[in-house]
Amino acid sequence: MTTEATNGSDFIRLDDVGKVYYRGKEPIEVLKQLHLTMPEGAFEALMGPSGSGKSTLLNLIAGLDSPSSGSVRISGQELGRMTEAQRAHWRSQNVGFIFQTYNLLPVLTAAENVELPLLLTRLPSSERKERARVALRVVGLEDRADHRPDQLSGGQQQRVAIARAIVTDPKIIVADEPTGDLDRTSADQILELLVRLNRELKKTIVMVTHDPAAAERATIVRRLDKGALI
Amino acid sequence: MNLATVALKNTRRNLFRTALTVLGVAVAMLAFLLLRTVLSAWLVGVEYSAKDRLATRHKVTFIMTLPKRYVEDVRAIKGVESVTWFNWFGGRLPGKEDQFFGSMAIDPPSFFQVYDEVSLPEEHKQAFLQNRRGALVGAVLARQFGWKVGDRVTLEGTIFPGKWEFIIDGVYSAKRRSMDESSFYFHWDLLNQTVPVPQQEQVGWIASKVPNAGQAATVAKRIDALFEPRDIQTLSMSERAMNTSFLGMVSTLLDAIQIVSGVILLIMMLILGNTIAMGVRERTHEYGVLRAIGFLPRHLSLFVLGEATIIGLLGGALGVAIGIPLINGGVGRYLEENMTGFFPYFRVAQQDVVIALALSLVLASLAALVPAYQAGKLQVTDALRKLG
Repeated sequence: MTTEATNGSDFIRLDDVGKVYYRGKEPIEVLKQLHLTMPEGAFEALMGPSGSGKSTLLNLIAGLDSPSSGSVRISGQELGRMTEAQRAHWRSQNVGFIFQTYNLLPVLTAAENVELPLLLTRLPSSERKERARVALRVVGLEDRADHRPDQLSGGQQQRVAIARAIVTDPKIIVADEPTGDLDRTSADQILELLVRLNRELKKTIVMVTHDPAAAERATIVRRLDKGALI
Repeated sequence: MNLATVALKNTRRNLFRTALTVLGVAVAMLAFLLLRTVLSAWLVGVEYSAKDRLATRHKVTFIMTLPKRYVEDVRAIKGVESVTWFNWFGGRLPGKEDQFFGSMAIDPPSFFQVYDEVSLPEEHKQAFLQNRRGALVGAVLARQFGWKVGDRVTLEGTIFPGKWEFIIDGVYSAKRRSMDESSFYFHWDLLNQTVPVPQQEQVGWIASKVPNAGQAATVAKRIDALFEPRDIQTLSMSERAMNTSFLGMVSTLLDAIQIVSGVILLIMMLILGNTIAMGVRERTHEYGVLRAIGFLPRHLSLFVLGEATIIGLLGGALGVAIGIPLINGGVGRYLEENMTGFFPYFRVAQQDVVIALALSLVLASLAALVPAYQAGKLQVTDALRKLG
């Protein structure tokens, strides 16, 4: 694993990043020689039409995928040189995920869903529970701790998902269409929460969205088309 | 909460499907336990057989008879304490032909000497000894047909045709499990004097008692050696050996039972494997999410294996919980009462319970191996794309 010192402006740094998928033997170039830096504490939105490569870019930043060429460095760490297991460990400590469809485990309560990432740590059970409770308080759902996902509204489920994303105190939060399944009011509440996480807890947030209202909350909006930043 | 409780909670995701799978495993384990008990019961039958009694029969087959005079020859052999003889009668109750029971012609005085575990009131015993038309029936048989002392019973002969009328003089019970309580005995004299001349003075087999089990083999050799130069040779063996050889005769059946047990377990494994594989397919996206937040492939494999073993163990435990009272209290009791000769003790053995539970666990794990491997090798981005 390679770690290099960074200045604050290139907390997230992508150099010459390309990503090619194969449909059978046919190569499909999803990202083309992309250069990108994001400072620590940024709140950036990635916009673009479907197939523009924004989700692929998000996956690379989150360490879910590795580039076909170029390098992805987060806080000086070169993700491409990590093994699968090292990347998983890195993700568990550094990245919080928010998905469009919340993706909570239906058999677990809200508190248990939030506690889930902490099972990968050595924290004692009482400490895990306490952290999950605090995370739920941050998103305003402490009183719904014992509710299962099907007993919560869409907005509440997404807030539980946000609590799950912040419970390990990650540096980065990646959000893939976090308001895509929500009505306007709920969407605004979620966006407000993300803004608070960015401003008050200094989380670096990278959000993929189609929603201009959501993008407005970000400090920087980047647009992609055909695998390139425009 | 820990990883195991997550696996446990996952089993509640589709309760109906889980319940059906658990029930499927339980039924398979119940069938397995029943078949294992049949096998154990066969062997227990051998265990309970008397070790100090010998049976001497025609060397060629059970069906062929021996001359009655052989009885006195056996009695004279050194080491033989007492001797009696039997003829298989094969009687059936008219109108109840489907209800099988053993019926044999015996010599009552010597029978009571050799089979000292037979127990009945002295006055009934004396009545039977003196009544040529008398019959001695086992307590289980008497209960089955509602017979009591003094009743007249007519049997239809299958080997010796005609209607044979008897008066029940005694109902016996057995002091030891070496004898069943479901046989019908009557006087050999009656049979001998009724059958055509060529069939007279013939016996089915000779039973002799030796002072101790240690001498049984030597005495058996002496008996067979005595008749070796004669026209009709004999085959003698201890009652235990006879039962063992009978087991040998049905070894194919026992092998078949073993195979059926294996097939049942294989089917159980496939059902469980299919259920688990369905679960893995349905949760591909969810596994992608878990992988995204840092869970490793081995964690996902453990979730799958954990879920399978929980279902397997629940099913195994349920099968055992249903099986023990059903076999011990129902099927077992019936077989012990009605087929004591074959199944003197038809109960679930502790070791079979342990084997059933262990198999539930092992087979469930094996059934989940492929789905667990598939879950473990999922690519995060592919899995996330499945639904999103």
